Amino acid sequence: MKTVLVIGGGVTGLKASHELAEMGYNVSLVEKQDYLGGQVAKHKYYKLAPDMRLVSEVLDPVIKNVESNSNIKVHKHSTITALSGNAPEFKVKIKNSKGESEETFGAIVVATGFEHFDPTVKQEYGYSRFKDVVTNAEVEELLNPNGPTKGELKRPSDGKIPKKVAIFQCVGSRDKQVGNPYCCRVGCVVSTKQAIEIKEKYPDTEVYVYYMDMRMFGRGWEELYGKAMEEYEVIFTRGRGAEVTLKNQQLSLRAEETIMDRPIQHSVDMIILAAGQAPGDGTIEAAKILGIKQNEYGYLAPKDDFLSPNESSKAGIFIAGADKGPLDVENCIVEGAAVAAKVASSLK
Amino acid sequence: MAENTDKMVIDGVELVGIWKEFMPSRILYEDVTTEFLDEVKKLPGGSTIAKCYQCGTCTGGCTLPEFVDKFNPRGFINLVRRGHYDILVSDYKDLVWKCVSCNRCTHRCPRGVNTQEVVRAIAKFLEDRKVFGKLTNDEAFDEIFMDEVINDGRIDEVKIVKDFYSKTGRLKDMMSGDQLSLGFKMFTSGRIKLFGGKIKDWKKVSQKLKEELQ
Repeated sequence: MKTVLVIGGGVTGLKASHELAEMGYNVSLVEKQDYLGGQVAKHKYYKLAPDMRLVSEVLDPVIKNVESNSNIKVHKHSTITALSGNAPEFKVKIKNSKGESEETFGAIVVATGFEHFDPTVKQEYGYSRFKDVVTNAEVEELLNPNGPTKGELKRPSDGKIPKKVAIFQCVGSRDKQVGNPYCCRVGCVVSTKQAIEIKEKYPDTEVYVYYMDMRMFGRGWEELYGKAMEEYEVIFTRGRGAEVTLKNQQLSLRAEETIMDRPIQHSVDMIILAAGQAPGDGTIEAAKILGIKQNEYGYLAPKDDFLSPNESSKAGIFIAGADKGPLDVENCIVEGAAVAAKVASSLK
Repeated sequence: MAENTDKMVIDGVELVGIWKEFMPSRILYEDVTTEFLDEVKKLPGGSTIAKCYQCGTCTGGCTLPEFVDKFNPRGFINLVRRGHYDILVSDYKDLVWKCVSCNRCTHRCPRGVNTQEVVRAIAKFLEDRKVFGKLTNDEAFDEIFMDEVINDGRIDEVKIVKDFYSKTGRLKDMMSGDQLSLGFKMFTSGRIKLFGGKIKDWKKVSQKLKEELQ
């Protein structure tokens, strides 16, 4: 049977759908929201590291490829509610505002992705208590010319451009207190990229990054890190942010400068929390409905991490992208293509 | 300039003496020992020390540095793990004790180190190695208080004050005017008694307690 269900209209799901359609499969793409593009579209990501490419240059063609392909049927505002049958004949109930319908598919691709970690639980950082403590996803929206501030980095409290910005790394990742001991894999490069964007736009604004380790393992990331220090004079301090308080009506952060062995108290105008990735609600829901295995953090577990990275614990159901663990946009596209190949070879 | 007394051989001629080194070595150590780490790990509360990844969240949020200069839980852990026993003793032995157990460090630690307990364990480790010499007032009082409880089963105020002053070598202070008048006032108002009562058959309990504590 040459029909495939793709769950999730994010970058991974879009890429997988397009590749499968190109190979002649009939694809049904189910997306919970009424737009395509997932978290990238939701938070209006502006530029992509490390080449500072506009997101629209990447996302628009991916969406267009899907929308213009006659082999793909896009179900927006839809969710799956039940699964019966086994490979290669799955019966899936798809629900939308008009009602429920049952369709039959030869294979299922789960690309339900991630959600940004909500830093409210890290009470010492004062997110949601102090207006000027924001997340990196919110900064993406602020820096986007199509965003709420038309691309100006205005402080939420009074609309002024901050003169001093601090970025806290590893918020909700590498942190056993919140149950996420894993690395978010994108925070370091996103923060460096945002620091450069801020410096480019406002050369007078000082940007400080408080980090534990800068993990610049991706393509061109290390070079970007060097550029941030050399060309943009972003100040990187080795020490994890400990707490945020108000001092004389100004945000004041405390941390340890571990290289100097001394604690510091630093007054700044705005604090950006580099919140990590957590498995999305959709991922957890999909795992429950489809009955596939999750790992201890809620991400979907591949059948074999090395030998069959895109197969779930159930035959005929495939997984890809950021629902398997934290991932960047570039690698999500790789994953989308990889899962398409795997599905095609299994349905032959 | 540092002095060097090593032997030196130049062209087969052996030179012995003391000479000045223009550039003394800056090498901190040539070998790392885990001897001290292993010891602290075994102490009560010290087991989580190896989890630390030196992010500095504990020191950054610590209550103490505003008041106690150089208090640095992360630093203490680092010194123990790398076996810098000499630095720990020379620079920090009087600081390690000052933790007020507010437990902010423990609650915030992203690695699940029980920082407050680890700092206590490091203090205990130093105490076991007898680096403190003379007892501080606090420690002297703790010892007397515990002895009293174990031996008599209750606190005899006069005795405990007398023992405390004699143990810290300050019997003279105890006989000063204001101390005596304070004692007299407390005696006349019934706050203290000259002879504390005894507990029946405490000896047996005392024996058991001593056995348990051994």
